[in-house]
Amino acid sequence: MADEKRGSLSGLTETEAKEFHGIFVTSFIIFTVIAIVAHFLVWQWRPWF
Amino acid sequence: MWRVWLLFDPRRALVALFTFLFVLALVIHFILLSTDKFNWLGGHAAPSAAAQHMSTLPAPAQ
Repeated sequence: MADEKRGSLSGLTETEAKEFHGIFVTSFIIFTVIAIVAHFLVWQWRPWF
Repeated sequence: MWRVWLLFDPRRALVALFTFLFVLALVIHFILLSTDKFNWLGGHAAPSAAAQHMSTLPAPAQ
C-alpha cells in the first residue's frame, strides 16, 4: 500500500507492472514463434550451414 | 521478472526495443540482399550444381 502510494522508479504500480508483463511475455512468444517459422521457411529455401 | 517494469518505464523500453529490432532487421536484410546466395530479388541465381555447370560453360567459338 505504501509502495503503491510512493510509486516506483517507472511510475507503475505492482499491478500495472504485472499486467504489462503479461502482455509483454505473450507478445514476445508470438514474435518468437513467427521468427522460428520464418527461419524454418528460409532453411527450406536455402540452408545456410 | 515483472519487477523490471517497476524500474524501466514500459513506454521508453518499448520504443527502445522496437527501434533496436527495426534497425537490426534492416541491417540483416540488407546484408542478405548483398549476398548472391540469399538475395531473393533476382540477380544471380543460387549456386546450385546445375547453375554452376551452366555458368562454367565456355563461350561458343566465333
